[in-house]
Amino acid sequence: MSVEVKNVTKKFGSFMALDRVSLKVESGELVALLGPSGSGKTTLLRTIAGLEFPDPGDAQVLFYGEDVTAIPASERKAGFAFQHYALFGHLSVFENIAFGLRVRPKATRPPEPDIRARVAKLLQLIQLEPLAQRFPSQLSGGQRQRVALARALAVEPKVLLLDEPFGALDAKVRKDLRRWLRQLHEEIHITTLFVTHDQEEALEVADRVAILRNGRVEQIGTPEEIYDHPASPFVYDFLGNVNLFSGRVKDGAVVIGGTSFATPETSGERDADAIAFVRPHDVRLTREPGAQTTFAARIVRCNAAGPVANLELERVHDGGPFAAQLSKEEFQLLQPKAGEQMFVELKKLKVFPEDYSI
Amino acid sequence: MTPAAPTLHLPRRTGRHHATSESPLVRRLLIGVALAFLSLFLFVPLISVFTQALAKGIGFYAHTIMDPMTVSAIKLTLIAAAIAVPLNCVFGVCAAWTIAKFDFRGKNILLTLIDLPFSVSPVISGLIYVLVFGAQGWLGLYLNADHAKFPWLANWLNDHDIKIIFALPGIVLATIFVTFPFVARELIPLMQAQGRNEEEAARVLGASGWQTFWRVTVPNIKWGLLYGVILCNARAMGEFGAVSVVSGKIRGQTNTLPLHIEALYDDYNFTGAFAVASLLALLALVTLGLKLWVEHNHAALNDAQISSP
Repeated sequence: MSVEVKNVTKKFGSFMALDRVSLKVESGELVALLGPSGSGKTTLLRTIAGLEFPDPGDAQVLFYGEDVTAIPASERKAGFAFQHYALFGHLSVFENIAFGLRVRPKATRPPEPDIRARVAKLLQLIQLEPLAQRFPSQLSGGQRQRVALARALAVEPKVLLLDEPFGALDAKVRKDLRRWLRQLHEEIHITTLFVTHDQEEALEVADRVAILRNGRVEQIGTPEEIYDHPASPFVYDFLGNVNLFSGRVKDGAVVIGGTSFATPETSGERDADAIAFVRPHDVRLTREPGAQTTFAARIVRCNAAGPVANLELERVHDGGPFAAQLSKEEFQLLQPKAGEQMFVELKKLKVFPEDYSI
Repeated sequence: MTPAAPTLHLPRRTGRHHATSESPLVRRLLIGVALAFLSLFLFVPLISVFTQALAKGIGFYAHTIMDPMTVSAIKLTLIAAAIAVPLNCVFGVCAAWTIAKFDFRGKNILLTLIDLPFSVSPVISGLIYVLVFGAQGWLGLYLNADHAKFPWLANWLNDHDIKIIFALPGIVLATIFVTFPFVARELIPLMQAQGRNEEEAARVLGASGWQTFWRVTVPNIKWGLLYGVILCNARAMGEFGAVSVVSGKIRGQTNTLPLHIEALYDDYNFTGAFAVASLLALLALVTLGLKLWVEHNHAALNDAQISSP
């Protein structure tokens, strides 16, 4: 019981949008497709909806085990919400939501009272009952997106596909709507895929996150897995909030600017150039060089606004910039000042030998 | 004694002064030039059409309009427009739909071809039809050939005395050719700007192609379509060049309104010519009125869509 794509390839001219992508979404799951622009995430979503067809080959799109690869969009029973909503401007909110029911052939079209009841229920679900007779042009962006969702849900789709559902909204509405989507999913448990380029959004909302890059799935896993164990330097870098140090792997350690950090997981690696990733909250600052391996750095700027303090630093030996994040308590205890020299300890270090590329 | 209230020296307000506005003299001069030009080339001729038309009194005016030749010309013009405009409407929507919603090879060639009637002199388009369908043209040669291919077709055309040139079909063909860019040209940019998202949304919601067209596409383009139809109709009724080549100008039979005006003028019946011309001038005024109304509605709709976030 799932929505599945197998070996989907799609080229636009010479541009490879999807390169043998396979992905399985379990029934009732909420999965985010996360990637930079041009990574193929929207194309993948449109392929599942039937708005694009995969290039000929062994590609398959399966809804609950049924092969729908050759079935047109109008018969797939997928719900799709477009990035810019694509509401019908000449129809009221009510009629927009009812559209999918009204276009059904006579034999399967519900009677008028049933249509009205279903739309009323959906209006309640999106909390827009008083606006039923408004036109899309009279709604705010967040309201339009909710109408688009209700319209997609009205046809009782087998899968809900959302293309950058919050992309065109401002930060506050975005956050509210994100939480609302999560709640909605908890209520109706419909298999859902949504596309986003915002890693925070993906990690917060989704049950699982698939990271796409150049038309391939780079990694798929729960938000925790993705955040704590990125499979590649790309994933590490794309999730953001990370420092990058280049160094050299040698005898189960990585040497960064003359300082050697023990990294047991690289013990098998041969002598090679490497990139080490450290999240800012895994950077510790001390005034004295401690028992742990440390290197010297100069504080460039402190910003203590918000729940954590963000520091910009510069390595003394090569001037390379990096960031550190301290809790408010740590910050108050340490009282760092701009221009001051400190010793840096790296609590958690992830090393990728150089032959991986970003 | 109270001390004098301090006076505030505010900068003198000199009307609305924007960086882009000109001095009053320049503004008046520009407006004056524009008005003089308009009067000379538009208002004066328009007024003179109506004064000339009524120069011999309302009785003569009515007599000219009621004349069987004039009535026949009016009828022919209306029939030609009634056939050409709906056909061009269908063609224009098809062409615009194809160009705006699909990507295919030769799209630019099609776009250029649609503009062809605008760039070709109407007389030439008329001549093309004479060369293709005339008695000495391809059709004539085919019908007069000793052993025509598809003899049943040749016989059928001969038996039913189907004539194209110097008859209604020729006039309709020439009118269609000359007016076909109007609807398409109006709709292509509109449909391109609207994109495919709403159609795609309708498809995913289960609508058939036909339902998508009638329920989503047509409501979105209706004002643009109406605008195109109005312009197309005005041109179809007023077309002279192409129709004059193919019509044969048989009075009471193949004369359209513009041709009838020329005929009256050639007869030195100037008042009569102007009387009939005033009908076309009235049509132009009605067209302008309709155009304003449509533009107003269209703009209001667009504003509503743009002003909202």
